[in-house]
Amino acid sequence: MVSRVQAVRAAARMTMKIFFADPQWIIPAIIAPFIFTLVALLLFRNETGPLLLYAVLGGGLMGMWGTTVYGSGTSITFDRFNGTMEATLAAPVPLMWIIGGRVAWNTFIGVINGGIILVIGTLWFRTGISIANPLAFTFATVVTYVSLSSFGLMLATVYVLTRQGGFIMNSLEVPVYIATGTMFPVALLPLATQPVAFILGPTWGIEAIRKAAIAGYTGLATSYWTDIGILAIETAAYFAISFYLFGRVERLAKRNGTLEEY
Amino acid sequence: MQEAGEGSSAVDVKDLRREYVTRSFLKKTTKVTAALDGISLRVARGELFGLIGPNGAGKTTTIKILTTLLSPTSGSAKILDLDINKDMYEIRRRIGIVFGGERGLYNRVTAVENLKYFADLYGVPPSEITGRVKKMIEMVGLEGRENERVEKYSRGMKQRLHIAKALIHDPELVFLDEPTIGLDPGGARDIRNMVRGMKKDGKSIFLTTHNMFEADELCDRVAVISRGKIVALDTPAGLKKSAKDISVIELQTYGADANFVQRIEKIGGVTRVVADLDSERQSIRVQTEFPTEVLPTIVGLAGDVNIIDKSIREPTLEDAYLRLVEE
Amino acid sequence: MDTSTSLRRRVSMAVQVFTSSIGFGRKGTVIWDSPEMIAMQVFLLPLFQISFFAVLAQYLDYSGSAVQYIVVGNALQAMSYSAVFAVANITSTDKWQGTLETLMVTPANRMALFVGRAVFQSGLSALIALGGLFYASELFGVSFAHADVVGVLLVVLVTSVTMMCFGLLISSVGLFLRTAMILANIFLFLTMLVSGVNFPLSTLPGWAQPVGYAIPMTYGTSAIRLAISGASLGGIGSLVADEVLVGAVAIMLGYLTMVGFERLARKTGRFEEY
Repeated sequence: MVSRVQAVRAAARMTMKIFFADPQWIIPAIIAPFIFTLVALLLFRNETGPLLLYAVLGGGLMGMWGTTVYGSGTSITFDRFNGTMEATLAAPVPLMWIIGGRVAWNTFIGVINGGIILVIGTLWFRTGISIANPLAFTFATVVTYVSLSSFGLMLATVYVLTRQGGFIMNSLEVPVYIATGTMFPVALLPLATQPVAFILGPTWGIEAIRKAAIAGYTGLATSYWTDIGILAIETAAYFAISFYLFGRVERLAKRNGTLEEY
Repeated sequence: MQEAGEGSSAVDVKDLRREYVTRSFLKKTTKVTAALDGISLRVARGELFGLIGPNGAGKTTTIKILTTLLSPTSGSAKILDLDINKDMYEIRRRIGIVFGGERGLYNRVTAVENLKYFADLYGVPPSEITGRVKKMIEMVGLEGRENERVEKYSRGMKQRLHIAKALIHDPELVFLDEPTIGLDPGGARDIRNMVRGMKKDGKSIFLTTHNMFEADELCDRVAVISRGKIVALDTPAGLKKSAKDISVIELQTYGADANFVQRIEKIGGVTRVVADLDSERQSIRVQTEFPTEVLPTIVGLAGDVNIIDKSIREPTLEDAYLRLVEE
Repeated sequence: MDTSTSLRRRVSMAVQVFTSSIGFGRKGTVIWDSPEMIAMQVFLLPLFQISFFAVLAQYLDYSGSAVQYIVVGNALQAMSYSAVFAVANITSTDKWQGTLETLMVTPANRMALFVGRAVFQSGLSALIALGGLFYASELFGVSFAHADVVGVLLVVLVTSVTMMCFGLLISSVGLFLRTAMILANIFLFLTMLVSGVNFPLSTLPGWAQPVGYAIPMTYGTSAIRLAISGASLGGIGSLVADEVLVGAVAIMLGYLTMVGFERLARKTGRFEEY
C-alpha cells in the first residue's frame, strides 16, 4: 500500500514537471474548454442578477470538466508518444495508481482553469463574487474535484485500449456540458436523456456548488447534503469501475501483446 | 546441451509457447503464427545468460514474457522462483529491465528526475532515493550532466541512463534487450563493462544480443533461438566445439569472381562459402570439415586468381551460430 | 531531356504525389479514419454542438430568429474540427512519428504533398456541415423552404476548402513550434468566437473584429444564412469571392511558411526539434 501511495505521488510530481517543461500536452486541455465556455458565457451578455452567477459557476465547472476529459487522455497518450509506455507498464505497481497520480494533477489544473473562468466571468459581467456560504462552497468544490478525478481515471482506460481515445473523448466534452446542467437546467432536455444527468457526478457537483453560492437557489429538488451524498456514492462507484477496468486493461494488454502499437 | 545446476534458479522456463492471432476483419480470416514454439531453459542465480538469434526469432517475445509484459499462450515460467502469472508485481520489484533502442526515458526532464521517478515507482524507500540516484549516476559515469534534460544526451549517454534506471532498485535479476545496439565501439565497451560489474555484484543477468563477439566475451552460457525454437544451449566454448567439424579457410585474393566462388562450392567437403567480391581485394571464407585437403584443391583451381593470403582457423561463435540458424 | 517532357513529367509526378497523399493523409496521419469514427464526426459532432448552444439560447429566451442564427452558425462551424484541427495536426503527427524528416528528403512537389494530405479532412468537414444542416432542418426548425440549394452546397464546399487552407497555414506555422497542438486548439475555438457563429461580429470589441475577417468561416456563416433565406447565387457571390480570396491568401502563406521552414531546417540540420 505504501508503495502505491508513493507511486501516485511520484506520478503526480512527474506530470507536474512535464507540465512546466513541455506544456503542449496539457495546454490544449485548458484552452479548448476555456474558449468554449467564454462563447457560452457571451450568450448571457444581456442577463443580470443571480443568473449571471449561475452562469459563471457553470462556466467554472465546464472548465474543470473539459480539462479533466482532455487531461485523462494526455495521461496515457503522453507515454505512447514518448515511448515510455513499456517502462510504465513494467513498473511493479498496478497501472491504475500511476495513471491516478497523473489524472490527479491534470484535474487539479482543471480546477485552476475553472477558477480562472470564474474570475474572468465575474470581472466581465461585473457581478462580483459573493458566495453565500464560502465553507460549503469550498467543500463542494473539493468533493467535485475528487469526483472528477475518479471520472477521469475511468475515462483513461479508454485511451489505453484504443488510439481513437482522443477522438472519443473530444466528442464527450460537449455532451457532458449538455447533460450535466452546467449552463441550463437539465429539465430543459428531452426526458429520455435526463437519466444520463443523474449518473454523472458533475450534475451533483454543480448543484451543490450553486446551492452553496447562490442564496435562494433551488435547482433540483434536493438538499445540499443530498447532492454531496449522491456525488460521494457516484465517486466511489467510479473508483470501483476504474479498479475493475484497469485490471482488465492490464490483462488484455498482456494477452494481446500490444503495448505500444494499438 | 549443458544444464544449469539444480536448486534455486533465476529463470526457469518450461515449454513456453506464444502464438499471435491476426484477424482480418473484412475477410473474416484468422491466422495463427507461433512467435515462440515451446522453449525451455534455466538460468542459475548469478549466471550471465545470453539469448542470441536472428531478427524475428523470438528474442524480444521471450524477454517480454519473462518480464511479465506479455502472457504466454502455454507453458510455465518462473522468475526468481516466482510464477509469472501469479506473482507479477513481486517479480517486477525484483527485476530490472533495459529496453533496447532510444525509447523508455522521459526526454523533457533531467536524468535525476527520471531516476527519482522510477525509484518511486519501484518502491525504493523515500529516504534512500537521493543516495541511490547519486550512486547510480556515478556508476554509469553521468556525473556533471545529471541535471541536464535527457533530450540533450547522446545515444551512448541515454543507454547508460537506461542501465542506471534498470538498477535503481537494486534488482536481483537484470534483463538487457540488445543493450549495445546502435552504440559506437567505445560506448558498447562501456556498457559491456557495466554488465560485467553487475555480474560481479552477484546479479543474475539475461541478455539478448546480435553481437557474437559480445556473447562470447560476456556470457557464461548461450542459447541460440531460431524460428521460435531453442536450437542450441551451451557455453560459448561448448558451442564452438560443436562446430569443430567446420573449420574455416580464409582467403585474400585478387581477381576472384563469382565463377571462382562457384567452383569452390563444388569441391567435395565444402559446406559453405561466404565471399565479399566487391572490393579490389576479395575475401573468401570457406567452411569445411577437411581444411587440409580442401585448401590445396582451391589453390589448384586458382588459375588467374592471385591468392595473396590463406589461413585455416578454428570456428568462432559466429560460425557456429550461422550454421545453427541457417540449418 | 527536352523541357516539354520534363515539364510533363514534373506535372505527372506532382499529380502522383497529390493522389497518393490523399490516400495517405487519411491512413498515415489521421487516426480517426475508421467508419465508426467518421460516422461519429458526421452525425454526433454537429448534433451536440448545435444542441448545447440552441438549448442555452432557448433557456435565455432568445427570439426564434436568434436561435436559428445560432443553429445555422454552429451547423457550419462544426466542420472546423476536421478542417482546421485535424488538418493542423498532420504536422504534429509527423513530428511524433519521426516521419517529418523522411518526408522532407523526398523530391515530392511540396504543394501537392501539402494539399493532398489534407483533402480527406476537407471532404469530411463538408459532410459534417451537411450533417449539421440536416439537424438544423429536422430538429431545430430551420426552414429550407426558400433556400437556394445550389448556393447552400456551394458555400459548404467553399468553406470546407478554404478552412482547410486555413488549417494548412496553422499546420505550417506548427512546424516551427513545439506547440502546434496549442495553436490548433486556439484557432479551432476562435472560429466559434469571432466568425459570426453565435453572435454577429459587430457585438465583439473593436480589436477582435479584424481577426474575424481573416478567417474564411466568417464569410461562410454570413453566406450560408443568406443562401438559406433564399438569396440567389448573385446575392452571395461577393461573400463567396471574399472567402475564396482569404482562403487563397491563407494557403499561400502556409506554403511559403513550409518552404521557409525547410530552408531553415536544412541550414540548422534540425527537423524534429522545433
